[in-house]
Amino acid sequence: MIDLLQSVGSGVLVGLVYALLGLCIVIIFKASEAFNFAIGEFLIIGSFLFYTLFFNETIPWHKALQIGVVIFLFFAFILFYDKNLRLRIAFPVGMVTGLLIFCFFFFGLKLSSLITSPLLRFLLAFPLGLLAAGMFGSMVERVTIKPLLGRSPISMTIVTLGLGFLLRACVQLIWGSHSYSFFLDLPDITLEIKDLLFLSDPIWAGILSLIIFGLVIAFLFRTRWGLAIRATSEDQAKAMAFGINARFVLLLVWGISALCIAVAGIMISNFGALSAGMGFVGLRALPVVLIGGMDSIGGALIGGILVGICEALAGAYIEPLGLVGFKEVAPYLLLLLVLFIRPYGFFGTVRIERV
Amino acid sequence: MKKRTLFILSIIVVFAFLGYGSIFAKEIKVLSQFPMSGPVGSLPEFGWGYIDGMNWVNGEGGGVNGKKITWYLEDFRYDPTVEVANFNKYAAEHSREELIMATGYITGGLKPLIEKVNVEEKIPWLDGSYSTEIFGEEGGPSKYPYYYSLGATYGNQIKVLMRWIKDNHKAKGKPKVGFVYSPTAWGKDGTPEGIAYAKQLGFDVVAEIEYPYTATDATNECMQLRKAKAQYVVYHGYSGAASYTAIFFKTAKKVLKGVQLMGTHYTTGRFPILVAQEAFDGYVGVATRPFLDAVPRSATPMDNPMVKLAHDFAKKHRPEEYEKGLKAGGIKDMFLYMEGLTYALFIQKTLIEADNNYELSREGIKKALDNMTWDFNGMFGGKVFSYKSHTIPMMRIYKAKVKMAKIQTAEGEKMVPTGAVVPISDWINTDEIKW
Repeated sequence: MIDLLQSVGSGVLVGLVYALLGLCIVIIFKASEAFNFAIGEFLIIGSFLFYTLFFNETIPWHKALQIGVVIFLFFAFILFYDKNLRLRIAFPVGMVTGLLIFCFFFFGLKLSSLITSPLLRFLLAFPLGLLAAGMFGSMVERVTIKPLLGRSPISMTIVTLGLGFLLRACVQLIWGSHSYSFFLDLPDITLEIKDLLFLSDPIWAGILSLIIFGLVIAFLFRTRWGLAIRATSEDQAKAMAFGINARFVLLLVWGISALCIAVAGIMISNFGALSAGMGFVGLRALPVVLIGGMDSIGGALIGGILVGICEALAGAYIEPLGLVGFKEVAPYLLLLLVLFIRPYGFFGTVRIERV
Repeated sequence: MKKRTLFILSIIVVFAFLGYGSIFAKEIKVLSQFPMSGPVGSLPEFGWGYIDGMNWVNGEGGGVNGKKITWYLEDFRYDPTVEVANFNKYAAEHSREELIMATGYITGGLKPLIEKVNVEEKIPWLDGSYSTEIFGEEGGPSKYPYYYSLGATYGNQIKVLMRWIKDNHKAKGKPKVGFVYSPTAWGKDGTPEGIAYAKQLGFDVVAEIEYPYTATDATNECMQLRKAKAQYVVYHGYSGAASYTAIFFKTAKKVLKGVQLMGTHYTTGRFPILVAQEAFDGYVGVATRPFLDAVPRSATPMDNPMVKLAHDFAKKHRPEEYEKGLKAGGIKDMFLYMEGLTYALFIQKTLIEADNNYELSREGIKKALDNMTWDFNGMFGGKVFSYKSHTIPMMRIYKAKVKMAKIQTAEGEKMVPTGAVVPISDWINTDEIKW
């Protein structure tokens, strides 16, 4: 019984992180009907942005300069495409932002020198890192997704596949592909009751994932922009007819999604180390959203927890029987089972297409 | 007129001979492959060490009694199919008289090449694989005459760890040992021999757990070991540089208090100190090379001649990379650089011996390797090894000593791990052990 509780508890904690990853897929799918296959690369980049802030990891000047120039070009030619605006606003804004980004990567914020308390440093670096990840997500949307607005969602999905390869190469060029040590040193909240043991890091991961999940839901259901996102996800054309800026909604959704993926990435990195090769973790979101339903936010939560528990139980009870590697396959077997019973997942909208 | 014709004819004849000579002169060609990218991470250091070594060999090193080596270097991206394809390509493109030696680095590449290397091509092949299946009792020179490993087998590495447990077990009762290994050919290699030897020594083998590279969490594995009351855990088949190792050690430190974590060659070293930090403290592992690259590098002891040579080489040929260290583009672990250099020096030594005693052909090189006894520039504390078993049977036991310290870096004051894996035994020649 203790073993079962241990496995289920560990599964739930990891499952909450998976749920957050699932949420990122769901909100993009709801807004654009596209699947973001670059989720793994977003996870790595989001984690590295936080890492740069929290651990004050800087990069050589020539790499920082390249990033600065990319940011300048983005502001100068992509964000403000109006020729009149370009000279008056875009160029100066681009220059200042590019310079700031260059300084950020080259000099760092020196948080580790200024703030000795890991918790205080985390409280400062965490929102800043997430903001940076969100801005990165929005930038990617502007460059790659926005030009495809109005086209088939399949085009967007395919673009995310290519985007994944490109981003992975960029990460390796900037940060290399070796592992970086990752210790958040958050207050120890390890739970130990007799033979039951839940370590501090997974508990923090579960709590923070749940908080972010809750915040996203609150944003979607309690704010005007959330309403706009929901309206756009219902019917893009009608939403635009009612004056909703669907382009901005898409930008916002990609930003929020990148932010949430970064949270998941940070939490997973804290279990071990951060490296360019950990993008595969992002794809754990695949069974999560398919089990819960591609367009269901609640489904992502349930799907995530189910996948987490399924992995933990398979690891604890089935793998010792000699079926090594079953833990990796178990979520997909569960997915197959669910799809046989409910082809749109547990909470996915059933679509009836009349021919 | 006659004189002019004669002069022209003589020039044509001289050039014809020279041309003939250059066309038909036999070159000494060697192919080397290292995993410089791919799932093990970015490890260009292998290549840097090898390139610097081979350039030195062809220059100051005097080549092979004055003859230069034409060397080829390939990154097989830790993919056995790439390693195999590269070798097939070179074997097809170059004559057997010229391409006289090849090197590889992983067991996964050795297995599909067994027939090709040992039966068809009959080319001496040096490898970084320490496969027990290929180089152990079941395999060895009689079965795979052209395969040579540059280290002791994993089976022997684990057996040496078992002997260490036997000598150092102080608790009451039989030692309880758990095995954690990767679900790969590497992880499974040597583990059965290690388990059998543990049982032979009278230990209780309380757990055998496969822990995958794709793990995001090691709580279940560590809880299983805790439940089994393991006192010693052998972690085998993993790179010390990877995230999964950090996950395992970080979790084990909290869940398996008082348990002795142990491991084989590629888990021992500098990288785990950097990624797992204090969680790696106290680890006991074996290594087939002098793993003395301390953190910070300035604290590295230079009493091993081969280590000193590698550092001097790096400082001379790659000053920027040496200085950068852990920064992107730097030499992260001197073992990797030294390994590339080791291959270059080993190739030169073999070719010179073949040239002196036998002939510069595949068979001549095989004879030179089979009869080699060498101290490898003092790498093993002056001890000499014999290559009769087709493995360099030398290894040493190390213990990790890691401490966090506040250090002033270019980015400001930082808490960083400091320490090294410190030798706790002399060099052990496994050929001399009666198991």
